[in-house]
Amino acid sequence: MRARMAKQAPILGATDAHLTERILRRISPIVVYLRSMAVVLIVWQLIHLRVGNPILLPSPLAVAESLYQLTRDGEILEHSFISLRRLAIGFGLAGLLGIPLGLFMGFSRLAQELIDPMIEVLRPISGIAWIPIALFIFGIGDELPIFIIFYGAFFPVVLNTIAGVRTVDPLLVRAAQTMGVTHRVIVSQVIFPAALPNILVGTRLGAGAAWMSLVAAELIGAPSGLGFSVQWYRQLLMTSKVLAFIVVIGILGYLTDRSLRLLQQRLTPWAVDTGGAR
Amino acid sequence: MRARFGLKGFLLPCVLLIVWQLWGIAQPAQSAAPVPTHVFESARQLIASGDLPLAIFQSIQRVLLGFLIAAIVAISIGLLMGHFRFADRNLDPIVESFRPVAPIALLPLAILWFGTGTPAAVFIVAYAAFFPLIINTIFGVKQVDGLVIQAARTMGVGRFRILQTVIIPSALPSIFVGARLAMGIAWTSIVAAEMAVGAKSGGGGTGGIGQMMFIFYAYSVKLDGIVVCMIAVGIVALLIDLCFRILQRKVMPWAH
Repeated sequence: MRARMAKQAPILGATDAHLTERILRRISPIVVYLRSMAVVLIVWQLIHLRVGNPILLPSPLAVAESLYQLTRDGEILEHSFISLRRLAIGFGLAGLLGIPLGLFMGFSRLAQELIDPMIEVLRPISGIAWIPIALFIFGIGDELPIFIIFYGAFFPVVLNTIAGVRTVDPLLVRAAQTMGVTHRVIVSQVIFPAALPNILVGTRLGAGAAWMSLVAAELIGAPSGLGFSVQWYRQLLMTSKVLAFIVVIGILGYLTDRSLRLLQQRLTPWAVDTGGAR
Repeated sequence: MRARFGLKGFLLPCVLLIVWQLWGIAQPAQSAAPVPTHVFESARQLIASGDLPLAIFQSIQRVLLGFLIAAIVAISIGLLMGHFRFADRNLDPIVESFRPVAPIALLPLAILWFGTGTPAAVFIVAYAAFFPLIINTIFGVKQVDGLVIQAARTMGVGRFRILQTVIIPSALPSIFVGARLAMGIAWTSIVAAEMAVGAKSGGGGTGGIGQMMFIFYAYSVKLDGIVVCMIAVGIVALLIDLCFRILQRKVMPWAH
């Protein structure tokens, strides 16, 4: 009995230690993060003092103040909403057209042979290079950024969808065929789920490209949105507001990627790491 | 890969080209609409006058400079972060915080700091190329077999020589992947940067292919010229990728 008690006590202590360790493990990344960013902010502040010109480099505090002020005025919300709406439309179109086209090209050899050269010709011309001519076609407004976003996101989506279809085990397709399943069901029940990990990777890469195109397109040819705001406040030499909007762009870019990664974990938990190095 | 550029492959581009030409012929004679034959003529002129090669050369020069800066900084920090847990833990939050910021978003800031010349463009390129490079370097170093490092250490090899003879060669394929990605992004962002610089500086003489496009758009309204530039952008992108592929095969025949 005594031996058991003696044995139990340290176990209890161990679980206690285990608990604190677990809490520490939860907290410590946050601590490390805050510590690292504190160093960045201090260095920033020092450079700010050294430069001595708030137009060139405002202090972190001034940027935080601008961030607060712009949020309170609703300006950040308004421009974020405009940009995200464009992103959603352009990116949505890229998925809506790119995924079926990719499935079709992966499935049909003829389609692949016909369309692939066209894609290979257009793909190296970055979406951003289309901006001047798109300005002619669409003028300044919503259509231009949407088109550039669509173009930027389209190719990663199509190419990864094709690659995904290629990874589907042909035996599965044949098995379904033997069982007399129709083409449509094969595509929706066999090929699409098997290609889904690659499709989601393409979607994430596409979102990254879309985000970059969005900012570029808005910077050059849009009367509103986050990219426009950055450029606008630079012309007014309100650098703290420029930096505030850059922070917003960073946060939204992070959240976009984060939410797609969550979607990836939800839909294809077995293939999260196929994202590879970007 | 086989039969990729079979005869059928030419069908669609040819049909589109013909449709485009017919559409152009149907336009009124004074319209600035680009037509394949005009584009071809314009390309010939731009190349013969030396304007296009010069602009491309200038852009490539900036890309290479920015890429070189990014490579030196990113690979050395990446090696540190991949090798030392301490460095990784403390620097990773910083890298991850700056990574989602689209490089082009920093352009207004770069113009403010460096003016509308080459340094601003180089800054944007370096920033854009930095992240693929550092992330793939870290990834490459972390993948190095720990046993091999320990083996080298047991044999009394110094830290620096381990880095030189064990870690870098094993991480090289991954670093190369990062470099290729980085170069692609660098080329995209130089076009954007030059275009935005051209848009905001009123077409000063800082050159580059992006600015050339913007001048065609905003000042001389030559759509043929814009299309020529777009094609040039695409060809350079392909060539850059080709160079990397050849280099990869030459430097690391084992990593295929």
